[in-house]
Amino acid sequence: MSEANIELIAPPQMRRNWLMLWRQMPLSFRIGSLILVVHLLVAVTGPFWAPYGYSQMGAGPPLSGMSLAHPFGVDQLGRDVFSRVVRGSWIVISLSLAGTLLGTLIGAIVGLLSGYVGGWIDEIVQRVLEALISIPFLVLALIAIAAAGPEYSGNPALLVLVVALVYAPRIARMARTAAIDITTRDYVTVARLRGEKAWSVMCWELLPNATGVLLVEFALRAGYAPVLIGSLGFLGFGLRPPTPEWGLMISENRALLIVCPSTVLGPGLALASLVVGLNLFTEGLARVLGRTVKLGTQ
Amino acid sequence: MTMLALEVSGLSVSYRQGLGWRQVVEDVSFSVRRGEVLGLVGESGCGKSTVALQLLGFRHGGLRTDAGKIMLNGIDVLTLDRVGLDRLRGAKVSFVPQNPTTALSPGMRIGVQVDEILVAHDLPTGDRARELFGLVGLPDDAAFLNRYPHQLSGGQQQRVCIAMALACEPSFVVLDEPTTGLDVTTQEQIVDLLVDLRARLDMSMLYVTHDLGLLSQIADRIGVMYAGHMVELAPTAPLFSEPRHPYTRGLIAALPRLDEDRRTIKPLRGLLQRDALPKGCPFAPRCDLALTRCFDEAQILRHAGHGHEAACWRLAEMPPAAAPAVEDLPAEPDHSAAPSLLTVASLMVRYGRGVRAFTALGSVSLTIRKGETFALVGESGSGKSTLARAIAGMVAPTAGHIRLTETELSPLVKARSPSQRRLIQYIFQNPDASLNPRATIGRSLSRQLDFFFPDRPDSAMEQITAALAEVRLDAAYASRYPDQLSGGERQRVAIARALIAQPELLLCDEVLSALDVSVQASILELLQRLKSELGIAMLFISHDLAVVRMLADRVCVLFRGEVMEIGSREQVFSPPYHPYTHSLLEAVPVPLKKRKPARQRTVTSVDVGTGCVYAGRCVAEIPGICGTMPPPWRETQDGLAIRCHHTLEDLLERESGLSRRGLEKP
Repeated sequence: MSEANIELIAPPQMRRNWLMLWRQMPLSFRIGSLILVVHLLVAVTGPFWAPYGYSQMGAGPPLSGMSLAHPFGVDQLGRDVFSRVVRGSWIVISLSLAGTLLGTLIGAIVGLLSGYVGGWIDEIVQRVLEALISIPFLVLALIAIAAAGPEYSGNPALLVLVVALVYAPRIARMARTAAIDITTRDYVTVARLRGEKAWSVMCWELLPNATGVLLVEFALRAGYAPVLIGSLGFLGFGLRPPTPEWGLMISENRALLIVCPSTVLGPGLALASLVVGLNLFTEGLARVLGRTVKLGTQ
Repeated sequence: MTMLALEVSGLSVSYRQGLGWRQVVEDVSFSVRRGEVLGLVGESGCGKSTVALQLLGFRHGGLRTDAGKIMLNGIDVLTLDRVGLDRLRGAKVSFVPQNPTTALSPGMRIGVQVDEILVAHDLPTGDRARELFGLVGLPDDAAFLNRYPHQLSGGQQQRVCIAMALACEPSFVVLDEPTTGLDVTTQEQIVDLLVDLRARLDMSMLYVTHDLGLLSQIADRIGVMYAGHMVELAPTAPLFSEPRHPYTRGLIAALPRLDEDRRTIKPLRGLLQRDALPKGCPFAPRCDLALTRCFDEAQILRHAGHGHEAACWRLAEMPPAAAPAVEDLPAEPDHSAAPSLLTVASLMVRYGRGVRAFTALGSVSLTIRKGETFALVGESGSGKSTLARAIAGMVAPTAGHIRLTETELSPLVKARSPSQRRLIQYIFQNPDASLNPRATIGRSLSRQLDFFFPDRPDSAMEQITAALAEVRLDAAYASRYPDQLSGGERQRVAIARALIAQPELLLCDEVLSALDVSVQASILELLQRLKSELGIAMLFISHDLAVVRMLADRVCVLFRGEVMEIGSREQVFSPPYHPYTHSLLEAVPVPLKKRKPARQRTVTSVDVGTGCVYAGRCVAEIPGICGTMPPPWRETQDGLAIRCHHTLEDLLERESGLSRRGLEKP
C-alpha cells in the first residue's frame, strides 16, 4: 500500500511498477481482464466501425455463409451477422451489469441487515430467500415477466429488474454470512454500545468490511447474467426483434443451424467468450482480494 | 561433546514475503545438554517459535533455511529427507503445541489418538496409552481413554498432548508456549507435571514462551531472543540477578512483579521496527547505551562469565545491573470517601433455559466509587467478562439491577439514554478486532463525537488531536488505517476512542492480555497516568494478578460467578486470604522464587449444589459443611469481606502455618 503510494509520486518508476503488479497477478485474472477489455472496447467503439447497421437489410446475399466481407455470414433477411453482434455487444453488457448491480445492491442491504439484526426477523427473511432460491432461476424469471404483463414485455428495464430479482436472494445469503462474521468483531460492538441504528452500522461498519465478498459475488453473478438474458431472449421473453441481442439472434437463426451455422456460431462465440472472460476475471479477483485481505490483517 | 542432546549452530531462516525473502532468524547458535531444560524467551515475532519448529525439521514452501546446522543426538536434522523426518518426529524429538484444543482431533477418542503415534512408529500399543495417562496424571481407566477431546478441560487436553509427545520416549521435547492459553492455576499444575516428568525421565527440553517469570521456575538456562537474534544466553539465576544485555534488562524491568509492591514499571523505549533494523545490533535503535558502532557492526554472543553469554559491544563497560531504584510511590488519592458511581445489586446472569441453563453470574453485588480502579480477578469462566457485559448493556441480567449514580440503568443498551451510554465506555482485549479496518483512526474517533456530542462548538479535529495526545500518539495518526499500526498503538487508539466520549467509567476487559511484555508495560503506564490525571473510574478485568496489584484500588475475586473475596488492594494481597485467592497467588510464577508443589486439588466437581462453589477444589474444605451450606460473609471493619466457612482468624492461622512466599507487606 505505502510502496504503491511512493511509486505514484515518482513517475519514471511508475510504468515498471504497474508492470510488476501485473506480473504478480494470477494468470486467470490477466487472461480474464484481457478478454473483458476487448469486449468493452468493442461495446463502446463498435457502433463507429461496424460495417453495417443492425437492421440494415441487403448487406449481402442471404445465408451466404462466412466470407471476408461477412465474417459471421448473412442471415435470412440479408443482415450482416458480424455487425449485429458488434452492435449488440453494449446491449448485452450494459443490461447484465445493470441487473447484477441492482441485484447486488438489494442483496447486500437485505443480507447485511438480516445478519446483523438476527433473531426472528433474520429467520423470516431467510425463509423467504430460501423459497426464492428454491425456484429454478429461469422459472422465476418467467414468472416475473408473466406477472409484469404483456405491456412491459421486451422492455429493457424489466429485464434489468428480472436479473436483479433472480440474483438478489443468492447475494443476500452471502452477505448475511459475511455480516454474521463481522458482527462478532469488537468494533461493531462499540458501534452498538454507542447506540447506532442498524442502518448506520450497516453503512459504516459492515458494508466497508464486506466489500471483498460482495465484489467477488458481483463479478461471479455478472458472468452468468449474459447467459440468463440470452436464455430469456432465446425463449422469446427478452428483448424484441430486431434488437441485436445475442440470445435473441441465436433463437432467430436456430432453424438455419444446418444451412448456415455461422449465423448461430457468431453470437454464440461472443456470448461464450464474454462469460469465460468474466469468470476468469472473477476467479483471479477473488484470489487477489483474498490475498490482500490476508495481508491486511497481519 | 557426547553430553549434548542438541546443538544448533549458525541457524538462519527466512520467510517468503511478497517477491522476496525476509530473514526472521539470523545466526542463532545454542546447545542443550542431556537432561537440561533450555528456555527460549522473547516477544512476539522474535523468531523463537521458528527456531523451535526447525528442531523438528519443519519446512514448507514459504520458509527457507539459509544456513546452519542442527545436530540432535548425532542426527543432522536439516539434511534429513521426508522418510528420515518421519522417523525422527515423535520418536527422537516431539512437540507440545500451544493450543491443545486445536491440536487434538475433535472426532477421535483420546486413547486412539495416543495409539496413533505408537502405530506410526511401529511400536506395540497394548496398555501404553494407559501407562502414559498415568504418567501425566490423568485417570487411566478405559472410560476416560474413550472420551473425546471436547469432554476434557483445557488442562487435561494439554496433558493428553504431553502424553502424546512422550509416547515414543523421545530424548528431546520441544514445548511451544504450552501453558499460554491456560488459567494460572492450571498452568501451575502443568509446570508441576513437566518438572516432575523431567526428573523422572531425564528428558531434555526446549521451552519456548514469552513469560520470563514462568521460565525461571522450569528452565536451567534461558536464551533471550530479539528480532531473530539470540542476544543473551545464561543460566537462569544469573540472568535475573545480573542481566547483561540492555534488552534483557529492559524486559526484566518491564515485568510486573507480584512480589514487589511497585506502582510503576519502566517500559522499553520505542518499538521493534522490522523494516528499519540496523546492520549491527537489532536492539540498537531502542537501546539507551547504543554507540555508533552498535548500529554498524554485528555482535556475536560473547563470554560474560560462568556460562553467561551476551551479544553486546559494551559488555565490559556495563556495570552489573543495580537493583531497580525504589521510586517514590505517587500519593494515591483516597477514594474510600468518594460517592459511589456504579452499584451492582444481586446481579444474576443465566444463559439458556431449563435443564441446560448455565449460571454465569450468581447474585453479585458490588459498588464502584468515583475515580476508583476496581479490579475483577478470577480464572476463565468465573464470570468477569459477563459482569462487564451486563454493566455495558450487552447481556440482559436475569435478576438484580445496576445503578449509575443513583439512576437505574436499563438492562439493555438500546433502552439507555445517550448520556448513560456515553458515561460507560468499553475497551476490549483484542486490539486487532476493536478498530474498523476500513476506517481511518480519525473516523473511528469522530464517529464517537458525532454520537455523543452532536452539537459541540469546537471542531472534531481539535478534539481528536487532543484525545490522541492523551494516549501519547501524534495527530498524524488520525489519517492512518489500523493495519498500519502496531498492536500497542491500536490499543492506545481504542483507549482514545473511549476517552473522547468523556466517560465516568471505563470497562477494561483484559486490555493487556494480548500485548507483549514491553508494550503491556507502556499501556499500563498510560492507564496509571489516566487514572491519576483524569480521575476516571475503571473496572479492570484481568487474570494477571501482578498487573492488578500495580493498578487496582480495590479488588474483587470471582469464582464461578460468585464473589469470593472483596476488599482494598492491600487487604486482598495480604493475609487473611480466601483459600481461592490464596491458590491464585500461589500459582503466579514469581521470578527466582522456589516453586512449591501445587497445593491445589485437581478434582473439579461441577455440581456444587447449595454449598460453597469452591468447595470441590478447596484445600481447606470442611467435610460435610462446605459442600452443603452456603458460606457466610466474614467482614472486617475496614472493608475486607471474605466468603468462607472459616473465620478470618482461622484463615489467618492457616496462612502462618504454611510457608509463605513473601507476599505480605514488610
